[in-house]
Amino acid sequence: MPQFDSEAAKACPVQFDHHTEEHARHWPDEFRKLREETPRAWTESYGGFWVATRLADIVGVTQNSDAFSAHKEVDFETGTSTGGVTIPATGTTRGIPNEADNPEWEGIRRFLNRNFAPRAIEERRAKARELTAAVIDMVIEKGEMDIVDDLTSPLPALVTMEIFGFPLEEWRKFADPFHRMTHTSIHDPRWEETIRGLDYFRERVDEEIAKREVEPKDDFLTMLATGKINGEPLTWQQKRDLSFNILAGGVDTTTALTSHALLYLARNPQDRQRLIDDPDLLPFACEEFIRYFSPIHALSRTAIKDTEVNGWPIKQGERVLIAYSAGNRDPEAFEDPETVKIDRFPNKHIGFGSGMHRCLGSFLARMMFQEMVSEVLRRLPDYTVDEAGVRPYPSISGVNGYIAIPARFTPGAKVGAVIA
Amino acid sequence: MKVRIDADLCQGHAMCALACPVVFQLSDEDGHAFVEDENVPSEHEAAVEKAVRSCPEGAISTS
Repeated sequence: MPQFDSEAAKACPVQFDHHTEEHARHWPDEFRKLREETPRAWTESYGGFWVATRLADIVGVTQNSDAFSAHKEVDFETGTSTGGVTIPATGTTRGIPNEADNPEWEGIRRFLNRNFAPRAIEERRAKARELTAAVIDMVIEKGEMDIVDDLTSPLPALVTMEIFGFPLEEWRKFADPFHRMTHTSIHDPRWEETIRGLDYFRERVDEEIAKREVEPKDDFLTMLATGKINGEPLTWQQKRDLSFNILAGGVDTTTALTSHALLYLARNPQDRQRLIDDPDLLPFACEEFIRYFSPIHALSRTAIKDTEVNGWPIKQGERVLIAYSAGNRDPEAFEDPETVKIDRFPNKHIGFGSGMHRCLGSFLARMMFQEMVSEVLRRLPDYTVDEAGVRPYPSISGVNGYIAIPARFTPGAKVGAVIA
Repeated sequence: MKVRIDADLCQGHAMCALACPVVFQLSDEDGHAFVEDENVPSEHEAAVEKAVRSCPEGAISTS
């Protein structure tokens, strides 16, 4: 492996800020240029960090969890934090287990894994199907909807709340603040207010967990209330962080994926028809949409010792932005990477991340995606999108998704499904 | 052909099960892949090769 000159790269920093609207609108070009010219780029933004844009480098970073930490250190007295999986680190909420290193990570994943494994998720499919039918029922007679507000935002929220054991009628109070958080830039004056909007969720978690301690049920809130990690009951902080992270991971990522996919299928009717004619293609199309749109745009790690990735020296304390979206369009890994091929396979995308922190909820995400897209193709197959009303997220540093995608279709009949 | 999954590298991407569900199965515990029989029936060799090229972690090898 040829040795890369990291000192020379640091002497020529690039202009880069993944939180800007400019980046949100032009990231494929920006990352293509970086990948071609400076695939291991150093920027002075946010205290300085590396930007990794090649798939092999990103996988190399994430597979070396001895050298690259995801741990977030929170100082509750000053309300500040360091490390973690975002650049910069913000606030005092630590996502666990994704902002934890071993051995903490392993205990938490063992606690969670079974609930998100393929069998457990298949058992939830029938309920997800019914809830999808119910949200479509609310718009089917009108002949118009907003794909985000009326389908891709509610459905993942409802399914995730069902897993928790929250009353489903509260879904909007849960989904909206998370939805807003993911597309509000940290530079936006409303950022602080947006973060405070999440307090309702935190209060409801505390209330419901207190109820489960007295009266256990068969749900995730009961697991938090009565379960054990490495033989110990969960601390109050663990319950808060874990519930926050599962909801944040569950609600807006699948929303973004499915929004991108339905917009793409509106713009590419030949691919929509292929999926209608051959539903067996849907799982392959799902992976291709994850690759191409990469709803989780980029995360980060911090080197905790001097190390090297494929001949690229990285020093202790340096941070690395692992741009999954850039790796997913790396021509060394994908033929014709800037084109959507709904039957692309093999497809070794890293849209769910890579290494030990890879997405816990991937089977749930795929299941909800399949149910939503199938229902749309079956019940409103002729939908069209009002392009003038399409509003992408102004900031995609957290999640790359949409605020609004207005659509019209031939009205149909309700099937009588209800949210319950 | 024989197929092997490196359990230390596998993270449950499940692309192998999409490539060849007959050979690759997914754990009910954590979704990670396993093979019940390392000997690949000849009719599935091409699909297993696709699985090798689909694994983002490089966890699958054949011999």
